[in-house]
Amino acid sequence: MDIQKTFCKKVLPIAALLLLAINNLVAQPVPITSGKIVRYNLYVKDTTVNFTGKQKRAIAVNGQIPMPTLTFTEGDTAEIYVHNELNEETSLHWHGLFLPNKEDGVPNLTQMPIKPHTTHLYRFPIIQNGTHWYHSHTGLQEQIGMYGNFVMLKKVPSPLERAEGEATFRKGIDDLPTVPIVLSEWTDLKPENIHRMLHNANDYAALKKNTVQSYGEAIKAGHFKTKLKNEWKRMLAMDVSDVYYEKILMNGSPSSEIKSINGNQLKAGDKVRLRISNGGASSYFWLTYAGGKITIVANDGNDVAPVEVDRLIIAVSETYDIIVTIPAENTAFEFLATTEDRTNSASYYIGNGIKQLVTPQPRLKYFEGMKMMNDMMKMNGDLDDMGMSMSLNQMDMNVVMYPEITGEAKAPSPSERAGGEAKMKGMDMSNDPNRYNANALADIVTLNYAMLKSPTKTNLPKDAPVKELKFELTGNMNRYVWSLNNKVVSEANKILIKKGENIRIILYNGSMMRHPMHLHGHDFRLLNGQGDNAPLKNIVDIMPMETDTLEFNANVAGDWFFHCHILYHMMSGMGRVFSYENQAANPLIPNPKLAQRKLFADDRKFHFMAENDFATNGNDGMAMIQNTRWSIGTEWRLGYTAHHGQETETHIGRYIGKMQWLMPFIGFDWRYRKMETNAMGKTQGEKNLFGQTNTKDNRQQFSLGIAYTLPMLVILQTEIYHDGNIRVQLMREDIPVTKRLRMSFMLNTDKEYMAGFKYIVGKNVALSTHYDSDMGFGTGITLSY
Amino acid sequence: MKLINKTLLMFTVIVATTFTACNAQIKNAKTETVKIYGNCGMCETTIEKAGKLKNVSKVDWNKDTKMATITYDTKKTNKDAILKKIALSGYDSDIFLAPDAAYNKLPGCCQYERANKPVVKANTEMPKMDTIVMPKATEANAANILQPVYNAYFLLKDALVKTDGNTASEKAKDLQTAINAVKMEKLAMDVHMVWMKILTNLKEDAEHINGTKDIAHQRDHFTSLSKNMYALIKVSKPAETVYYNHCPMANDGKGANWLSKESAIKNPYYGSMMLSCGKTVETIK
Repeated sequence: MDIQKTFCKKVLPIAALLLLAINNLVAQPVPITSGKIVRYNLYVKDTTVNFTGKQKRAIAVNGQIPMPTLTFTEGDTAEIYVHNELNEETSLHWHGLFLPNKEDGVPNLTQMPIKPHTTHLYRFPIIQNGTHWYHSHTGLQEQIGMYGNFVMLKKVPSPLERAEGEATFRKGIDDLPTVPIVLSEWTDLKPENIHRMLHNANDYAALKKNTVQSYGEAIKAGHFKTKLKNEWKRMLAMDVSDVYYEKILMNGSPSSEIKSINGNQLKAGDKVRLRISNGGASSYFWLTYAGGKITIVANDGNDVAPVEVDRLIIAVSETYDIIVTIPAENTAFEFLATTEDRTNSASYYIGNGIKQLVTPQPRLKYFEGMKMMNDMMKMNGDLDDMGMSMSLNQMDMNVVMYPEITGEAKAPSPSERAGGEAKMKGMDMSNDPNRYNANALADIVTLNYAMLKSPTKTNLPKDAPVKELKFELTGNMNRYVWSLNNKVVSEANKILIKKGENIRIILYNGSMMRHPMHLHGHDFRLLNGQGDNAPLKNIVDIMPMETDTLEFNANVAGDWFFHCHILYHMMSGMGRVFSYENQAANPLIPNPKLAQRKLFADDRKFHFMAENDFATNGNDGMAMIQNTRWSIGTEWRLGYTAHHGQETETHIGRYIGKMQWLMPFIGFDWRYRKMETNAMGKTQGEKNLFGQTNTKDNRQQFSLGIAYTLPMLVILQTEIYHDGNIRVQLMREDIPVTKRLRMSFMLNTDKEYMAGFKYIVGKNVALSTHYDSDMGFGTGITLSY
Repeated sequence: MKLINKTLLMFTVIVATTFTACNAQIKNAKTETVKIYGNCGMCETTIEKAGKLKNVSKVDWNKDTKMATITYDTKKTNKDAILKKIALSGYDSDIFLAPDAAYNKLPGCCQYERANKPVVKANTEMPKMDTIVMPKATEANAANILQPVYNAYFLLKDALVKTDGNTASEKAKDLQTAINAVKMEKLAMDVHMVWMKILTNLKEDAEHINGTKDIAHQRDHFTSLSKNMYALIKVSKPAETVYYNHCPMANDGKGANWLSKESAIKNPYYGSMMLSCGKTVETIK
């Protein structure tokens, strides 16, 4: 296992030295085979890593990241002892495996979490073969190291089996030298913090990736109108992915070499099989190879008829088995995994000698993407597919952003800049049915699901009753709420199915992002036009506006999770549980009610944010906690003098509707401001636009109100106070003027107004300046969390 | 108005003072000398720009000695990372070979001799390899004897897809050579029969395509050439899957067919104008 040694060598010095003591015992996870039982001991432990020059917390198993590669042969029995040496709960899920429900490793659903400093045994027979992986299903642990390869080899057939043609063993494929590779990402931010920032629409990640898409940048690119229309349709700037990662890793390293496999030096003409799992928490990866075409031979652990492509995208949690050829002597060819947003990549150099690089994926044309989004978004937030029925990744709307398919972004001509909407040169493509079909538009062959074909028939039992279920994938980017049919896990009942039924699921993605939907415990057939030979998968990546149909035979009782595998979407509640009717109780769940409450706690979680502007004219700030539906927020303005006054407003509201543009709330206001006195020495109230008088002098008021997000993302807030006063207010924060400059304004019928600028310096720091009708002009520093 | 001006001014002052502080030298500096292949002064500009990152790394390349002096901050980057960036801009070193696309994009004067680039082994099939591999005479398989003809046909088709009359003409010449080189006595009986029937037409179409650079004329002849080629490939059983495609608009609306090795439609009758027009009517294995 040369490869394992290489990455051990790389990871070990990084991983904390305190692990060394146990390392000697368990560093090389040599399976102890007794008969047909294969046993592994996994020690889960806190560690610190240094991928970026900074020491950060991570979780290592047996002292390494990724977790060790577990290898079995079909027919073995797996015995995996998990020793939780963390000070928190954990679990391990065997992704894509057929096993008894209680071994599936979903905490609070198929077992209780593995408590700190305890050992849990997973024991199950290996009844399939193929490339899979395993990962923690607890919290966000998967992001910080808990992922690893899980390989199940085919039995080498006896000559008799081979003669009878029964064996599934494919000569020339299953006997090639093989390297398992798990892809992942690293971020120096704590994953909990990423999750919180996503829910608060923090654009720090966009800033790091240079994808803010501000008005200034739009004007420069000749896309001012595009940006305007985008905000008119109430969209924030979007990217194909949300999280900024410092490093991309293949088997734990941004750059690795394979010079020999099993002691044999690689040479020209050799074919190598790579078993690739995407263990990334939220990243899709483009896979490309410097030595020519890539041959795909399996997907999600199931064989497919070999198909040759130039590149493929691997969805979060998918696996692909691919074959690459070394075309020349004395050269190592780069195998490159590039994030979908193309901001980062990791390389494997396959072969011996000088390193032949592959052309990197060029940067996305964001404003073309924004224009495309404008076209497909209706004013009410629904998506409009303009009559194209899309499925199976064949049409990729994102091709409009790919320079390698649709050409480099052209500098706008002066007339276009004036028009504000750069037009495509030459032919008008807007009616071409193939305008999103990457394979029709260019010489590059990109894999899509329609090209996958099982080598064997995969039909379900014919006479079984069919149960059809339809799901719409729903969500909104602004508040980072992701759901199925508009309900998160905690808001929906389990879906009851009967053993023996054929379940057919029709998925439609009505959200603006793509989602890799994963089913536990079963493979499904993806109906992709290959008839009897529909490929078997356990993840289907579904792009916006696509409809895909999948079906499986319900053949193993239990509670099985069906969810989006983007970690932060799953934790936001994008999933459902399939539960078999009249099944026996799970012995590992002694208290089902408690377990359910703990499971639901994930998406019920509140996210906190706060901001305060320390300015020359006072302190301005807000704090807010929010979850899927509720928002509790307080704003304050604290002047330094009695004349400037102090005030706070607290609102408790509930978001309504799919897009969550409407929020009714109840509020409480308190304000104190020394008012000017008139000639008679009496304080005067102020009149609002409606002629109502209000005093600001120690005023305490309850209120009822509604906030509604208008086009251009302006929030219209109408409030009625218990003394009968009415206040109507318009407000917009964080208008992206340039990459780092934000503008905001507010005005209301109490004749108060405010306008300001903010220049973002760092993740939590901004310089700010504003003018306020109560407190006048001020500059300061804004700290935010 | 005055207020806004004041605001902006204040703001600019704050921003400016924060950002003037950074004009330092490269820290933790290490200097190394490495060879980078290139030609001229223009190369020098590109190489040095590719390797430069403010306060992190800089490169000084000498076009006569081809040696580069690289200085970098050892805590922030390393030699390989810098050489990789330079290779991605088109320039080989002793560690990295530039992607072909990057090298081909260099201006003519910069296209240096790639001393490190290995020769691709003849037996591995590489995309866009123009040489026609001659089969060994001992292999009496019809597909093998005719393979050079098919290969030449596919290259001709690719040129037409790209609407490239010059290349098409060259490829037609190769096709003529390949046709003349076929030892028909080695063909199986049924293949031989078809071969005899279409030979004159094959030669004529190839000659016409070779004789002109007018893409419309070439495409006319490609229509009948494809038809005959289909008859041949059907009876001789190709070594790999071949797709028989139909475009209903070509040939003045009468429709025309072509053969392709890829399942994706790439129309040779219209090229980029209607690249994806057409559908596969038959898959020949």
